[in-house]
Amino acid sequence: MPIYAPTLPPPPDLHQGQPPALVLMRFDLARLLRQKIGRFFGFAFLLMLLWKVGRIYVDHLLQTNQTFRPVQDFARSVLTQGADFQADLLNPAGYLLWFLVALVGGGLVARDTLYRVRPLMYAHPVVPRDYLLAKLGFASALPFAILLPFALLPWLMSLMLAGTGGPVWVTTPLRLLPAMALSSVLMGALAVGASSLAGTPRAGIGWVLGLVLGTGTLASMVHGLTGNASVQACNPIVLAEAWPQLFMGVERPLVPWLPAILGTAFHLGLWTYVAARRTRPSETVI
Amino acid sequence: MMIALDRASLRYGPILGLSPTSFELPDGGGITGLLGPNGAGKSSLLQLLSGLLPPSGGEVRVFGQAPFRNPSVLARLGLVPEGDRLPAGLRADRWLRMMGELSGLSGQGLKAAEGRVLEVVGMADRGHLPFGRMSKGMRQRIRLAQSLLHEPELLILDEPFNGLDPEARLTLMALLRDLAGRGTRILVSSHILGEIAQLTDRILLLFRGRLLAEGSVSEIRQLLDRHPVELRLSGEAQALARWAVEQPELAALRIEERAVVISVRSPRDILPRLQRAVVAGELPLRAMDPLDLNLDAVFQYLTKDHA
Repeated sequence: MPIYAPTLPPPPDLHQGQPPALVLMRFDLARLLRQKIGRFFGFAFLLMLLWKVGRIYVDHLLQTNQTFRPVQDFARSVLTQGADFQADLLNPAGYLLWFLVALVGGGLVARDTLYRVRPLMYAHPVVPRDYLLAKLGFASALPFAILLPFALLPWLMSLMLAGTGGPVWVTTPLRLLPAMALSSVLMGALAVGASSLAGTPRAGIGWVLGLVLGTGTLASMVHGLTGNASVQACNPIVLAEAWPQLFMGVERPLVPWLPAILGTAFHLGLWTYVAARRTRPSETVI
Repeated sequence: MMIALDRASLRYGPILGLSPTSFELPDGGGITGLLGPNGAGKSSLLQLLSGLLPPSGGEVRVFGQAPFRNPSVLARLGLVPEGDRLPAGLRADRWLRMMGELSGLSGQGLKAAEGRVLEVVGMADRGHLPFGRMSKGMRQRIRLAQSLLHEPELLILDEPFNGLDPEARLTLMALLRDLAGRGTRILVSSHILGEIAQLTDRILLLFRGRLLAEGSVSEIRQLLDRHPVELRLSGEAQALARWAVEQPELAALRIEERAVVISVRSPRDILPRLQRAVVAGELPLRAMDPLDLNLDAVFQYLTKDHA
């Protein structure tokens, strides 16, 4: 009669989970949702969105209701129209969104540096590319997700109220979505790159704000001295605002096409490179 | 072989972290201690083994493959790096789940693994606590738990006893012995020599980036026969000194108040003679303390030659 050796329990199945980049992004998202910061900014952005949507409704009333006919011309002169109005739909891409990106993105890599999490992650089946992808993806997806309702809700509202003749053009989302993508990736790359330079989340926030405001101030000073608007292509705040203008065809955008492309490519390349260098396994210390 | 290093070295730019080093660890469970002072190259060696860095020269093989960025190797090893910093507001179970997912676990399998490892480390009822409300020992157990989620065959711990109180150390040692008994190969680095001696007899001794010795404490001790062993004999100092100078193994003698400290070669020969003299009442000996039969002494002897 054969004697069987006792058998060990089967090893766990390790190939059922999601890709590491997605796991890390979900973890960062869950952390953000648990923070009160999300509630404050959510409230602030909701108010801004209501204002945008409300303006569409007011515009519709001005056009259709005879009671408001006397103030119609005045309203037209006060409120922006056409391409400027469409590009302005994304104006949360200004300081408030940058501030949110700094607060959240500034800690994304710096927190892992502080708590020495990266060596642990890299000792799992996670490669630096996964890590970088997760951080860049999350830091870019955040502003994109916030801007998305600003592009879609006014458009839907306009379509429902006034059809194709409404204040928001039918093709607006097709123009705004790529602009949003570019602005968001720019914000994300800068935040992650700056965060990778810091050792603590607070320092990371400081780095993001310092870089954004510093380059912005410098570009504005050089612009003022030389009168050359293309210099503003170094200013990430201006770049983020310029892309919707360029895609919507605004007559006088903050920055022309070529400088905007070059400036964005420069920032993306530089900050992605910095983040990649700073999150290499050799930078991690057990 | 589970681990095989063939003249593996590691450089950080111009600084040599680990000189060309060769050793092997067999398959199967057991604990091996990696000893050495700060800067000896312990962390460099662990970085090579855990796939964080490629060797600058030579070859590193874990489970027969190069571990650097190799998911099939990394999925079979668990790492507990040095340090105790964990986000204070983060709940341990959430952190464990993320680490489990990074290992490729999901759904019910992940849930079961989380429950199992929390049970193993004795934290089943405290896994929901945030790290900020945990003691250092509890956090260390959670760090160990994360490394066990995917049931690794090789467990690497870098200075796991740092800062732990005696009770937590004993608990952790018991845990590691239990894991080793179940078939996990454990590599523990430490500079607390006494603790490693309590934990395991198999050691790798590193100093200034070089592997000085490999084997059991007694094997290494045999390599050091040329070095005398120090014994403190407490009692009537002059009578003890008179007896000691007659012994051929004596290398040095120092008289202290109510004691003599003798340095002897081949303690295996002299100790039975000492015992017989005491039993026969020829020697007024009250106590004997071996000053250097522990790992500290081995370490001191070996490093003295290389310093």
